[in-house]
Amino acid sequence: MSEERPVIEVKNLYKIFKLGEQKVRALNGVSFTVNKGEFVAIVGTSGSGKSTLLNMLAGLEGPTKGSVRVAGENIEKYNERQLVKYRRDHVGFIFQAYNLMPTLNAIENVALPLTFRGVDKSLREKKAVKALKLVGLKKYMDHRPTEMSGGQQQRVGIARALVLEPEIIFADEPTGNLDSVTTEEILHLLQDLVRRKATTLVMVTHDNYLASFADRRIRIKDGKIIADERNGELQENV
Amino acid sequence: MKTIDLLRMSFSSLMKRKLRTVLTVLGVIIGIASIVIMVSLGLGLRQQQMDMIEEYGGLKTINVREGNGGQSYSSQDSSNLDKKLDDSTVDLIGSLDYVEMASPILEFSAIAKTGGYTLNIYNGYGYKLDALNSMDWQFAEGEMPKEGDPLKFIYGNLILENFTDARDNYIYYDTGVLPDVDLMKAPMFTIFDTDAYYASQGSSGEISFGDADGGEQAAPKTPPKKYLIETAGVLYGTGPDDYRNYSNNVYCDLDALIPHLKKVFKGKAIPGQPTKKNGSPYKTIYYSEIMVRVDKVDNVKEVQKTIQDMGYEANSNNEWIEETKKTSQQQQAMLGGIGAVALLVAAIGIANTMMMSIYERTKEIGIMKVLGCDMGDIRSLFLIEAALIGFIGGVVGDILSFAVSMIINAVTGSKTSLIPIWLYAVGLGFAVFVGVAAGFFPSKRAMELSPLSAIRNE
Repeated sequence: MSEERPVIEVKNLYKIFKLGEQKVRALNGVSFTVNKGEFVAIVGTSGSGKSTLLNMLAGLEGPTKGSVRVAGENIEKYNERQLVKYRRDHVGFIFQAYNLMPTLNAIENVALPLTFRGVDKSLREKKAVKALKLVGLKKYMDHRPTEMSGGQQQRVGIARALVLEPEIIFADEPTGNLDSVTTEEILHLLQDLVRRKATTLVMVTHDNYLASFADRRIRIKDGKIIADERNGELQENV
Repeated sequence: MKTIDLLRMSFSSLMKRKLRTVLTVLGVIIGIASIVIMVSLGLGLRQQQMDMIEEYGGLKTINVREGNGGQSYSSQDSSNLDKKLDDSTVDLIGSLDYVEMASPILEFSAIAKTGGYTLNIYNGYGYKLDALNSMDWQFAEGEMPKEGDPLKFIYGNLILENFTDARDNYIYYDTGVLPDVDLMKAPMFTIFDTDAYYASQGSSGEISFGDADGGEQAAPKTPPKKYLIETAGVLYGTGPDDYRNYSNNVYCDLDALIPHLKKVFKGKAIPGQPTKKNGSPYKTIYYSEIMVRVDKVDNVKEVQKTIQDMGYEANSNNEWIEETKKTSQQQQAMLGGIGAVALLVAAIGIANTMMMSIYERTKEIGIMKVLGCDMGDIRSLFLIEAALIGFIGGVVGDILSFAVSMIINAVTGSKTSLIPIWLYAVGLGFAVFVGVAAGFFPSKRAMELSPLSAIRNE
């Protein structure tokens, strides 16, 4: 274990939704930490609260109670403007539905977060090309999302998350829309990238097999962590 | 985000929805073109009225008369000489701020006889030559008298209508027939001492003019001397109905008129000039009027006030101009209002297009927010898009206005529609403003979209 502070520190996190009279506890007192360079899977069934947790880590939703500290920032009290800046500075995001801009080609899609950062066109396209090469999409740089397969689109999505060289990448069911062969490819790619770049990756999935690609699995049920497993051998490598 | 990237993204998203963009822009084009054309009609109307005022004696001219509590006709009264107009007054007014020219005018009356006709010159004016030249008159025949010339007359274009047939005393208004007189060639025998003339005529049915029965003057019955005054020129007019401010007047060079009058009225007072208590004239010539030219229309009011404060009578077309300005402003407001309705419809069109665009792009906006696009940038993107619609509509609207204005002017054959440069600029600025205003709430809405619900929007 490194002596620096964990990248993610979650303490006593609660999220309570009100559905009419009923109170739904989506998160019911969750605490954990994630260290730099870890590949963590948050595993749980539908409705377990895993997506809510991810949204909170990414600053897309605010908690009802508790503290979330990511990349040195206590984001639980941030307003929307600050959260946007936090994501822009620290976070890469991989979506289940890829969420690429349909009118932009691969390079432009990957360069988009850099555009938001105000990076020059030439520099951001250079970085985008580099990121696309990293995910093995050298040949598809000028293609639009509609001209690519699901796996290719998700590679673009991964390149878009990588291009910022963020401290942390969040992935929400990144292979949910892909066939099994492509799923394996993508997960191997993620695994490989995380190790090479020493990036922290938090992936949400409902699938135990997919979770097995991670270094560590946080199992969540009814808004509570029920297990926190690490791969012994991988831990030694850290 | 960089401004260039904001512009690029806004522009490309407009281009993505070409048909809708074109239709929305079309609304702005029509709106802007209606406003610009309506206002241009108002401006054209005003210009025409201003030209008319210019025709009737100028926009920048002030007429100064001697100040005597408004009793400018009692000029025989010598009690108040200091408010009469002499050369020092001319110099004084000429030295005022904004005054370009102050020129004295001496009115005179005379009787001219030629052939079987008599002309009563009631409105004779002696002007300085430079003042005459500054009138920019067009001559039908002849030309301006030159410096050093003997006294020559310039006749207004309708002067022939003032001739009386000596046999029956009929004038043009009675007969409808113009006298057969060639003003340029006919010898014009002119009598300046009209009092003496009427006295010599006795009660022969002539119109008694002035105080013809004035005391001692009635004694000599010999007719006064006639002088042959050459005609310098006749002013231009299109026909017997073309009334202009000079039409029935006679003009001459003041510097030739004064020596002539002094010669005619040797030892007597020139009619209209003040006299000393014993009836003898002063050496100085007192003018009937001073014509003052001001550098700008806007300064007329101020100069007029200054001269009035000095104790003189000062009149200008200023009040007429103000009145004209006021009515034309009302007309413009009314015409502009009609155009504004069209623009309002266009603004609603822009707002509608932007709202549609935001609904369609909810997901896109969500993704952008998740990827860290600043909220202000998202607002800017939509505002720029709306402003671009306004801008393009404004440019094309201006071009359309230009074309329509040309057509209107070609059809009416006059400058009915007048578009100054500033009107184009205002049209364009207004279009952009309307775009931004219409895009304001939609863009605010886009900015405030929750990223989470936006991504979930499948």
